[in-house]
Order: sequence, then structure tokens, then C-alpha cells
Amino acid sequence: MSAVRLHDLTLGYERRPAVHHLDGAFSTSRLTAVVGPNGSGKSTLLKGVAGALPPLAGRIELNGFKHRDIAYLPQDNGVDKQFPITLEDLVALGFWRRRGLFGGLTRSDRARLREAMAAVGLEGFESRAIGSVSGGQLQRALFARVLLQDAGLILLDEPFTALDARTTSDLIDLIQRWPREGRTVIMVLHDLDVVRQLCGDTLLLAREKVAWGPTGEALAPENLLVARRLSEAWSDDPQVCHRHDDDHPAHDEAEHRH
Amino acid sequence: MTPELVEGVAWKSAAAGALALAFGGAPLGVLLIARRMSLIGDAMSHGILPGAAIAYLLAGPDPIALTLGALTAGFVVAGLSSLLAQTRRLPEDASFAVFYLSALALGVLILGRGARPEALHDMLFGAATALDAHALVLAAVAATATLLAVALFIRGFLAESADPVFMRASGLPGGLLHLILMVLVALNLVAGFRAFGALMTVGLMMIPAAASRFWARGYAGQAGAAALISALASGGGLLLAGRLGVEPGAVMTLCAAALFGVSALFGINRGLLQSLPGRAHLKG
Repeated sequence: MSAVRLHDLTLGYERRPAVHHLDGAFSTSRLTAVVGPNGSGKSTLLKGVAGALPPLAGRIELNGFKHRDIAYLPQDNGVDKQFPITLEDLVALGFWRRRGLFGGLTRSDRARLREAMAAVGLEGFESRAIGSVSGGQLQRALFARVLLQDAGLILLDEPFTALDARTTSDLIDLIQRWPREGRTVIMVLHDLDVVRQLCGDTLLLAREKVAWGPTGEALAPENLLVARRLSEAWSDDPQVCHRHDDDHPAHDEAEHRH
Repeated sequence: MTPELVEGVAWKSAAAGALALAFGGAPLGVLLIARRMSLIGDAMSHGILPGAAIAYLLAGPDPIALTLGALTAGFVVAGLSSLLAQTRRLPEDASFAVFYLSALALGVLILGRGARPEALHDMLFGAATALDAHALVLAAVAATATLLAVALFIRGFLAESADPVFMRASGLPGGLLHLILMVLVALNLVAGFRAFGALMTVGLMMIPAAASRFWARGYAGQAGAAALISALASGGGLLLAGRLGVEPGAVMTLCAAALFGVSALFGINRGLLQSLPGRAHLKG
């Protein structure tokens, strides 16, 4: 079963496509990695699925979710670290969808808030100002907020960038539990070792789909080579689509590309 | 105007008006500074000018007409700049700059065509004699509306300021909150502009808010400290202005600046004396 299905999806900015003609599906209750060279459209794809960027063409079909029910952790988290709120306040924003503009936190909300902060190793940091904690602690707090959002679909854009090994492994432990809880996770990653360790499925992207399927097959050396060759040919000029079906094989045919 | 100030009747209403403005303006000032929109108040104070100018031309120096004109212009500038900010084509302050500078130019042009030259001066810097019963009621309304709105929407304001990307994705009506904030700023400025001048009213909103950052970390503490500092500056400024026989707006603003200096030096939250080298780790 698929949680998210892409139908001939093209996403981009100012009418310049960044990802072309994607077809395929993200499986429910699976961890799928989105991998590819810089500028290959990985973040753009996540933004599109999150509903923050309308498609230029094609469509995104969400199976049983609304855009608002998705937990999305963008690469540039957008948190204003100068703003005078505490780490706990930041995490508590995860209740927003359920409590709204006026609702206060219930006693059980507070208990869940404490649990979530403990789960990411932030006990004792509740009343620290968000400007006074390290990047790793802030990222832990944002993960705690994802926990509170209790979302069926979780999108993570390079969640381990600039984190130390211990924080990364703590957060990986957390992520690994999500598919077992029935959650679908799509995450942009760079470290292929982490991808192989963590993710059952992989979408290899180079502005178009290079391969999409079980991680071992998708990350085959010939596919990685194709992705690299494609990225070397990119220019800054607006792209014009010349679509030939044999240039865009379905992901199970990807190995026959060359 | 100063004889009345010294006589006491106008002094009392000036003090009441200033106090109301202190309690209305302070929580707004703290929010604006936290959102890095310190100059928005300034911008808005220029933005209300054409409305007041048109009202002046149509109805003369009638207090209700002036207030209504200024209020209308303030709301128009607030609405248009909120709308442009929503498109996210321009930074928030840039979209504001476009509207307030246009509004200011319009105001100068209108006043230049038909009003006496002092009118512009009075609007920017104030005349305490303008603090009549109408002005007092308006100041009270502005303070009450502000405190109510802040109490109702504070979680939204803080959330939207701290993590706008997340809150947009969560369906928070960010545009609406932005508009409410701007309308409140306009309301407070209009309530103060005739007595203390548009620019000086901004001073009483922003300088105490800046000073409050040296006394508290969280929003509530900062808003309380800012209200207190603003009230002290207004009271002290009125007294001094009465003694010196000058317009109170500027003296109140300077008092606020002096209190800012004291806060920056002695404040318990990262005041300058606190950060003297070696203070913490050489202890004991």
C-alpha cells in the first residue's frame, strides 16, 4: 500500500523545474531515503509532498492524509533562535494542530511533553531559552516536536547535518521505531551508509528518477554512476523538457538504462 | 499649553493618557522587537499622516476628525503591508517601507497645499493640550483592546514569530495575526499622536521594550518590565516637562532613553555590568 503516490510530478520555482516527471509511490509504514547529488531536487520533492510548493505539473496523491497532518522538518529549520521562548515552548508547538489558537495544554499533554523531551534526551533543558542551546540540542527538540505531532507521514530533510555521532545515533534509534508504529517516513540523506543501515527503500534522484525501490538495488553502482553523470550535465539555464518515454523508464527497469 | 500643565488639570489627563499608552504600547513593543520589526512603529507613525492631513483639510483641527482620519490611514497601511508581506516576495520591513514612505509623501503634499506649517510639526511631535476627553477615551480603548488581544492571541504571536515555517505548515493564520498586530500598533499610535506626537509615541512604545530585554528573558517578564519603564518614563517626563515649560512628548522619550541606559548598565539579564570580564568564573 502506498502512503504517497506521485503522478507525472514536476516541481520547481518560478516556472523552472527542479524535479521532472516523477512517477511512483512511497510505501506505507516504510522508511524511504531520498538520495542524489546536490541540486538534484531532493529538498524540492519533500517541500512538494509537504504541501509547501504547488506542483508545476502532475500531482501528488496523499493516501489518508491531509497536508496539515504531515510532520515536516525542513533542512533550514527556520527557527528564530533570538526569539524569547523556551525549548519546552518550542516543543509544545507540536500540539498546535490539536489545541489550536486558544486551547491550553491539558494535564496529559504536559505529561506527553515531558515524555517527548525525555525521549530525545532533553530532560532538564525544558526552561532553557532556544538561543542558549547547541545546534544538536535544538535538533533534538525539533524531533521531540515531531513526536508530539503524532503524524502518520513524517518528512525529514537532512536531519543529521552538523550533528555529532552520539546525537545522530540517538535520533536514528528514534526514527527506527516509527515504521513499527505504522508511520511512513521519507527522509533526504547524504550518507549512503546511514541509508543502507536505516532505510528499506530508496529513491535515487537526479532531477529525474534514476532508481526507486529496495535500497540495495536502488543504490547499485551503475545507478549511482548514472546519477553522477546526469548531475555533471546540469547547467543553470532553464530546462526544457524533451520527454521520450525510453529516457524515463519505470524504476524497476532502471538497471537497463545504459 | 504649559500653564495648564502646571495648573494640574491637563496634567492629570496627560498622566492618565500616558499611563494607558504605556500599558498598551509596551507589550506591542516587546513583540515587535522580538520579531525584529523595531522600525515598523516608526514607519506606521508616518503612515497615519495622510489620513490626519486629509481630515485636517476637510474638517480643520477637529479632534474626532483627525483621529478618524489617522486611524483610517493606519489601518490601510497595516492592511496593504500585511497583504504584500503575505506574498513573501519582499521582506516584511521592505513591504512596509514602500507603503509608509508613500503615505508620508502624500501627507506632506496634502498638508503643504492647504494647512498651516505648524500642523505637520504638531502631528509628528505633539501638543499636550490636545489631550481632551476624547483623546483619553481613545487611549483607554487602545490600551484595553491591546491587552485583550495580546492575552487572547499571545500564543499565536509567539509561535508565529519563533518558527514561522512550522506554523504556516500547521495551518496557523499567520496573515491574520500579522494584521491584528499592525492594527494594534496603528491604534496605539493614533491614540497618542495628537498629545505626544506620532514619533514620540513610538519612542514610548519601543525604547522601554528595548530596555526590558535587560530585565527578563521570557515574553511575559519583558512585557511587564516594559510597561513599568514606560509608565515611569511618562510620569517623570510629564513632571519635568511641566517644570521646564516644554512639550512633554520629547521629554518623556528622553526619560525612556535614560531608563534604557540604566537598564543596559544594571539590568540583571545580560546588563553590561554583568558581563564584566571574569565575574562569573572567578567567583569563590
